[in-house]
Amino acid sequence: MRVSNWMNIDRRWIFLAMGLAIVVPLLLPMRLPMGVQEPTQGLFDAVDAIDPEKQCLLISSDYTPQTEAENHPMTVALLRHAFARRIPVISVVLYIEAAGLIDAAVKQVMAEFNARATTHADSIIYGRDVAFLGWQPPPIVPILSMGESITGIYPVDFYGTPSDSLPMMARIQDYDDVGIVAALSSSSSPLWYVMFAQTKFGVPVGAGCTAVMAPDFYPYLETGQLSGMMGGMKGAAEYEVLVERNFGITDRARANEGMGSQSIAHVVIMAFVVVGNIAFFATRRKEGQA
Amino acid sequence: MKSKLPLALLILMGIFGITSRFIPHPGAEALNAYLRDTLLRIISAFALILGLGNLILRHWSKIKKKEENYGSSYVLLISLTVTAIIGLFGGTSGEGILPTRIGEFSFDVNTLYDKVMIPLGATMFSLLAFYMASAAYRSFRAKNTLAFLLLASAFIVMLGQVPLGQALWSELPSVSHWIMTVPNTAAKRGIDLGITLGVTATLLKILAGIERSWLGGGS
Amino acid sequence: MRRFGHLLVPLLLCTLWLPAQAQAPPGGVTAKDTPSDDGSSITVAWEPAPGARGYRIERAAAEEAFETVGEAEADQRRFEDTGLPQDVPFRYRVVTLGAGGFEAASPPTAPVMAQPQWFNFDLFGVAFACVAFAGVVVWYIARARRGEKLFLRRIAGLDAVEEAVGRATEMGRAVLYIPGTGYISDIATVASMNILGEVAKKTAEYGTKINVPNRDPVVYTVAREVVKNAHIEAGRPEAHDPNSVHFVVEYALAYAAAVSGIMVREKPATNLFLGYFAAESLILAETGASTGAIQIAGTDQVTQLPFFVVACDYTLMGEELYAASAYLSRDPLMVGALKGQDIGKFLFLLLLVFGSIASLIFGIDAGWLLATTGY
Repeated sequence: MRVSNWMNIDRRWIFLAMGLAIVVPLLLPMRLPMGVQEPTQGLFDAVDAIDPEKQCLLISSDYTPQTEAENHPMTVALLRHAFARRIPVISVVLYIEAAGLIDAAVKQVMAEFNARATTHADSIIYGRDVAFLGWQPPPIVPILSMGESITGIYPVDFYGTPSDSLPMMARIQDYDDVGIVAALSSSSSPLWYVMFAQTKFGVPVGAGCTAVMAPDFYPYLETGQLSGMMGGMKGAAEYEVLVERNFGITDRARANEGMGSQSIAHVVIMAFVVVGNIAFFATRRKEGQA
Repeated sequence: MKSKLPLALLILMGIFGITSRFIPHPGAEALNAYLRDTLLRIISAFALILGLGNLILRHWSKIKKKEENYGSSYVLLISLTVTAIIGLFGGTSGEGILPTRIGEFSFDVNTLYDKVMIPLGATMFSLLAFYMASAAYRSFRAKNTLAFLLLASAFIVMLGQVPLGQALWSELPSVSHWIMTVPNTAAKRGIDLGITLGVTATLLKILAGIERSWLGGGS
Repeated sequence: MRRFGHLLVPLLLCTLWLPAQAQAPPGGVTAKDTPSDDGSSITVAWEPAPGARGYRIERAAAEEAFETVGEAEADQRRFEDTGLPQDVPFRYRVVTLGAGGFEAASPPTAPVMAQPQWFNFDLFGVAFACVAFAGVVVWYIARARRGEKLFLRRIAGLDAVEEAVGRATEMGRAVLYIPGTGYISDIATVASMNILGEVAKKTAEYGTKINVPNRDPVVYTVAREVVKNAHIEAGRPEAHDPNSVHFVVEYALAYAAAVSGIMVREKPATNLFLGYFAAESLILAETGASTGAIQIAGTDQVTQLPFFVVACDYTLMGEELYAASAYLSRDPLMVGALKGQDIGKFLFLLLLVFGSIASLIFGIDAGWLLATTGY
């Protein structure tokens, strides 16, 4: 194969190489050193600073199943962090497609903690420590209305129980009782919370987003409008590491499991770009000589 | 009248929408909440009925006229009907009024969600990785100095965002973070400023009744 | 020494007791209706008391006893009592919490009521900037109305729209118009509807088929009216196909799959991606590129722009999307508004530069001017 032909590699070969780069490290896991970047540390610190006696963590999981691999480990890691510190958690979704995933995540993390619990006080109890309030459309409505009354806009939880009958909701009324909103999203929902909830009610906001959306949020991190951010699967993996280091929780960390694939996939893309450029310069030189 | 009434409504709602941002009075907030929580939802619900009606009629007509690829319209209508029946009568996890369980397998909303929606959605999203690789290979050329700088920054960020980069050089994530927070943010703010002013000017044009294409024309 | 020994114990007690007895209440306690709020809070302010370890704020309705409403740290000078009913008079007093558990209460304030306001002065800077910007835009619209010619720079992507529609006509294929995956509340979607009007007029004039698949049902109803009226405006109502604008699915990536199917099966000659786009942008644009269609994209979602740039022939970046309908229609009033927008941008840039200099060299912080935190 001549170097100039490298410019026109059939895209199916590229797809095959990418497929292998992703699948092989999943089958043969590798443990790579994991540093924690500033935005993830910022979010962790903000959540950690919540006083469980006074305020709660509001997790708004606004992603669809498509971005499950990136966003879902964020929800799980945040739940583990909050439960480990006994911070009450309110979970909501702005898109109906996320409801099933969050229902499963809440049940999964509750089961993890309850398997280790020895007393009633140690356990994570639905309604006392966590409430999944479900979905209310359209997104702008719950974002603004939670500033006035959380149980007002979510009269029943995801399971049909009246929200004001949940013990924890007696002391959680509006954004004043929320330590931070963690908006985990495959769209712009963290910015909606900044624009509508933060500017109007002053509630701190943290973000979790897909890697492709992360550049959108950096300006808001710089200004302090976002307290922290988990960017893509790497951000989720960093949060998992922080939870493991600080609380010794060693349950399955799915984002960390994906780091090998992500590393190799990035290298493969770079390799193709390099090959394309070598071919480009070889062709240009040949044309120059001719 | 046909375009004046919507325009008048728009101007009224638009001005209220802007001014309510600056009015802390609970009366304004109550009206805002009513418009937002009640009227907006009713409109969305009716629009969904219109949309669904259009979807069904369009594919029904395709089948009737035996248009090209009309077979896929069958797939759509059958999937739509089956999903609706399961959603209405099958219950979330098999507790509905229909006998939706065959042996260990249950045809309920959860099954549709877990076994159809999640894998299909994840498959579509994962295509991005493949398309990104092919698009980057095809068009990422260091044709000049600026393109080379862009390419170099991209490589640093790509490596800095994965643990492998840290294994290669421990400072790489910091350099990547700097690129994201300084040059990237500066450029993004510049574009954002233009976009925000563009949004405001577009709103003004609509409120002033100059921009009416969205109403279906100028007259 | 022994002679005075019997005096030592009371003396020691006095040294402990005297400062506590001297614990003063806070001075200048005032209670005022909190300005720029919704009438649900009263702000209590006070002068610090020497040696205070903290303060307790107490409230009493008429004829009732004082009850605690909150506590403040020693360095705090004010407290906002929230969640109050409107127009009910309350009196306040502030109690100094001193060493050894000693306390001293200030005299009660005069009765004060929480009342709502009609303007949030905290947002004065933002309101002023909005009015000033609107003023500049309106002034340029007025100039355009007087018939003044205004210069518009060339935007290659928009010049290509005409060519792209022409190409579809020559090839006898359709123009696929994708209005994005946003809601009608996204201004990018509204801008897309404005452009759709102009594009649909051109397709109507040329007799070219247009296909507009929609993700949001509200956007679908608007797009349907836009295309229908564009055909009427172009004088070709009979050419309008009611099925040309259709609803597909609300789920964004399912929408991308459906539209990719349309591209592969129907092979439109021209694909226009204009509006709000998220992750589905590259799937749409790459599929379109593989079918050989001429592609023009435009979005205000900065993170999606790189994908469109690599996969499309022309890309409208950010505000170019909003300029599109003015550029395509050449309506003098819309061009005037565009010019006003430019001047507004220039003024903001000036403000930015002067603000940065003032902050860097003179240490002036003018952040309050454009504070966006509400009441």
